[in-house]
Amino acid sequence: MIKTVKASLSEKILFIFLICLGIFAFTSFFLLKNKCLSVKEVNLEKVNFPDPENIAIMNVECGNVVIELYPEISPNSVERFKTLINKGLYDGSAFYKVIDNTLVQAGDLEYGKKEYLDYSKIGSGKSKLGTLKSELNDDFEFTEGSVGFARSTEFNTEDSEFFITLKEIPIYQGEYTPLGKVIYGLDILERIKTGNKAIYVLRPDFINSFKMLNAN
Amino acid sequence: MRILILLLFCLNITYVNADEIYNLLKIPNLEIFKLKSKNNIRYLNTNNDFKIGVDDNITCNKTKKINLDKKFPVIEKNLSLYNSNFLKKIQLKYIVLCEDLFISEINTGGIPDTQKRTLILDINFNQKYFERMIHHEIFHMIQSSHQNYFDEELFSKLNEPNFTYAECSTCSDRLNLDLYENTKGFLTEYSKSIPSEDMAEIFSFLMTNKSKVNEIIQEDNILKNKVELIKSGLSKIDNNIL
Repeated sequence: MIKTVKASLSEKILFIFLICLGIFAFTSFFLLKNKCLSVKEVNLEKVNFPDPENIAIMNVECGNVVIELYPEISPNSVERFKTLINKGLYDGSAFYKVIDNTLVQAGDLEYGKKEYLDYSKIGSGKSKLGTLKSELNDDFEFTEGSVGFARSTEFNTEDSEFFITLKEIPIYQGEYTPLGKVIYGLDILERIKTGNKAIYVLRPDFINSFKMLNAN
Repeated sequence: MRILILLLFCLNITYVNADEIYNLLKIPNLEIFKLKSKNNIRYLNTNNDFKIGVDDNITCNKTKKINLDKKFPVIEKNLSLYNSNFLKKIQLKYIVLCEDLFISEINTGGIPDTQKRTLILDINFNQKYFERMIHHEIFHMIQSSHQNYFDEELFSKLNEPNFTYAECSTCSDRLNLDLYENTKGFLTEYSKSIPSEDMAEIFSFLMTNKSKVNEIIQEDNILKNKVELIKSGLSKIDNNIL
């Protein structure tokens, strides 16, 4: 004959505690894995942009990043940027250089696209539109969310690559061509995959689409 | 194939130096000391010793606060003599402040790099002639960015026919920076090393003690011609210098 043993109160409490812990661990795993959690999404239809001609919308994994462009500061560079956006050339471009909490960089149209990613050449790709003269501005401050045209170590080598600062980088003032500023979605950019200790990102995040507001 | 690409990527991986100043100037261990000035010069301080250049042949040590506090006002005062337009033309934007600057194991006051628009300054170099040294090094930036205005061959011909400069500034023992009592075409012994140092010495005196130079050239025709050549070159860059 089998004698049933009743669980004591403390055993019951321990059992319930273990079940709760299991549920918490399980849900946390899925919640934490979702890097886009708690990202604020801007409703573009509800925002009244004073200068819609110069608003660009970059869609990435976690949502839309809204950028205001400054043609009055860097006319030629902004024009080039708009040309590349309107041609859809940034769509599928990799954020191949991401420095944690510092900056994200994308726009290598030759070797940094989703369909063709060449790690040995990334950062050296060309747009085939030729390089531009740097449009430096000693008064433009590279505060967080500033968008600038990337270049090689030489000036006047801007082409298609751009970067967005995630923090203020005062030393960039007067060093890089300003393109504009992020007005919504900086927290979205902060979720872009970093390279951990490496400057270049293995299996990077991509730009889903990049459009001018008026083109939507 | 995927594994091969992955391996290549890992081999070529560049570790982050999450240091924006390094990314810009390729000099490690720098921090912003003073970013805004009237003539747009940016001062960077060395917070840890660094080695740069071919085979790390350029070395400089971090600054001590006490030295920096003492020397910075002197440096800033002297650099304020140049306007931002002139500095732009001579490609000077960053002053790197460090101590005990050596190039190929030779102690030097400054190392100019027009490509990076940087002048590395040893704040401990030659206490006696420190201010003059600053202008001396700046002249090297001026000459480097405007070689055609300061023709060394033409300048050398202004000397006595029997005089020859050394092959290089460091292969000569003409190193004294004291002002000659009897100049005879040269302001200091170091002026006799090579033409560019001769020009830099004249320029440094013009910036720090112009009246003395004007007095000397009344009696020294060779120096007078040299001063005129330098002034002429400078006026082509900016009329407001000197």
